[in-house]
Amino acid sequence: MKGAIEVRGLVREFKGGIKAVSGIDLDVPAGQIYGFLGPNGAGKSTTVHMLTTLLPPTAGSARVGGFDIVKEGPAVRRTIGAALQEAALDPLLTGREHLKLQLALHGVRRTERGGRTDELLERVGLRLAADRKIGGYSGGMKRRLDLALALAHRPRILFLDEPTTGLDPQSRSALWDEVVRLKRDEGVTVFLTTQYLEEADVLADRVGIIDHGRIVAEGTPASLKAEIGRPTVEAMPGEGTTQRELEGILARFGELQPSTSGIAVRLDGQGGLTEVVRALDAAQANVAALHLHSPTLDDVFLAKTGRSLEGSEEPAEPEA
Amino acid sequence: MRTLTVARAVGWRMLHNNFTTPSLLIPGLAFPLFFFIAFAGGLSRVNDVPGFDFPAGYTAFQFVFVLLQSAAFAGVFTGFGIVRDFETGFARRLMLAAPNRVGILLGYALGAIGRWALTAFILTVVALLAGMEVGGSGVDIFALYALAVLVNFVGLLWSAGVAMRLRTLQAAPLMQLPIFLALFFAPVFVPVELLADWLETIARLNPVTLLLEAGRSLIAGAPERVGIAFTAVFALIAGFFLWAVRGLRKAEAAGG
Repeated sequence: MKGAIEVRGLVREFKGGIKAVSGIDLDVPAGQIYGFLGPNGAGKSTTVHMLTTLLPPTAGSARVGGFDIVKEGPAVRRTIGAALQEAALDPLLTGREHLKLQLALHGVRRTERGGRTDELLERVGLRLAADRKIGGYSGGMKRRLDLALALAHRPRILFLDEPTTGLDPQSRSALWDEVVRLKRDEGVTVFLTTQYLEEADVLADRVGIIDHGRIVAEGTPASLKAEIGRPTVEAMPGEGTTQRELEGILARFGELQPSTSGIAVRLDGQGGLTEVVRALDAAQANVAALHLHSPTLDDVFLAKTGRSLEGSEEPAEPEA
Repeated sequence: MRTLTVARAVGWRMLHNNFTTPSLLIPGLAFPLFFFIAFAGGLSRVNDVPGFDFPAGYTAFQFVFVLLQSAAFAGVFTGFGIVRDFETGFARRLMLAAPNRVGILLGYALGAIGRWALTAFILTVVALLAGMEVGGSGVDIFALYALAVLVNFVGLLWSAGVAMRLRTLQAAPLMQLPIFLALFFAPVFVPVELLADWLETIARLNPVTLLLEAGRSLIAGAPERVGIAFTAVFALIAGFFLWAVRGLRKAEAAGG
């Protein structure tokens, strides 16, 4: 198998000609965590639904685990686990019953189900709540159970669709740890969609940024940030120094950037922070505050789409 | 093999939820019993109507109707559960896990049969306690219950087809209405010979009449047109199986 996930020209058009996904290409090598980043309505979930065989593509092709998502759906489903955006659970079943049902659906032998259920409940920290109906679970507990269900049959590829949306920081951190452990200890390939920049930055080996159904940037978080440029230095004038004087000094180091609280310049490579400090000192400029901003994935998004990812919401992805 | 594994798992969940949730269990039991007591008890004087010559008596006459009605509606009500699974997203979980998704449909069918089996058992006990005469042999009675199981399957396949196409509880009336009409345009209270005018014409064209008459002949121990009834119900199953599978494909195309 060349890659765990290979996507070529994948398109999904909904009724009324709305294209949720407009011809994307992706390659995710086995054993990597791939972060699929984009605002709400960008096409992330539609892509996951197609790759997990829940939704047929309108055009293009994709192979998951070496199997064609259209022609070899059953084989794809045997290979993957998925925790979708809404943890779809049955309020009339307990956590333990959910796991046993999931294992039965995947054809795991009855004799193995009990042990595997206990193991998964322990792993996601739900052992004590295992025999409670999930109607009484918190959002975090439901997410953890959803993850356990996705892992029930030991999939080689795991799809997590916005797994931490709505979680408290502690639950989010625990889920991140588990994702990293799955990759490190079990070699699981993880395809993770998120609208949280930090999540993609911390977890992902590679990141794809999707906007309006198209991939606008793709690479490692470091390479993407390096691609869009250099750090920005922001200075706030102190007593006796004007904004104009600061502008004059900082403009020597790169292109001035909009700033609400001072003067900002994106360094163009002529000098780093040290050189900026020396120039300010030489000019006897009084500076109240000086900040160095390294590029973030939001800067990448901004550079590629002209707007910021944070707070950039699009209409929800349409239904068929 | 995997199809049956999926079917067993889905069927188990349906039965588990039905038997552990009184709000799901009780209506399925209460309505057929209510109909049986109301019809067989309240209309027992029909026994004396000239032209009513059913040998096993009016209780058995009504029992067959209520048995087949409860079977059909246990199938239809399972369709409500299917819709709920789509509305809550649980259907996606099933579709993600099932290698062959026809297994999901068969699982719902197992659940429908299971929930009806308890109703049929209690209904039979109540009918026998009420003094129902059974003229048929063991084979006849087995055939009657087999016919009811097949009717249950028809009801399930019809409602599953609707549920998977519309995927909303607003489809509930659409699931019930044709079954109601088919059942009540059949000779429910009196034999078809005692119906008059347009109602008799419709009843004679209605395939449910054939099933009812065959069922009643079985309980009376004088089987009549049973082969044709089974052929008709198998034809309905074949037709509605295609209807349900196409509904499943539509649900798949829509993303669950």
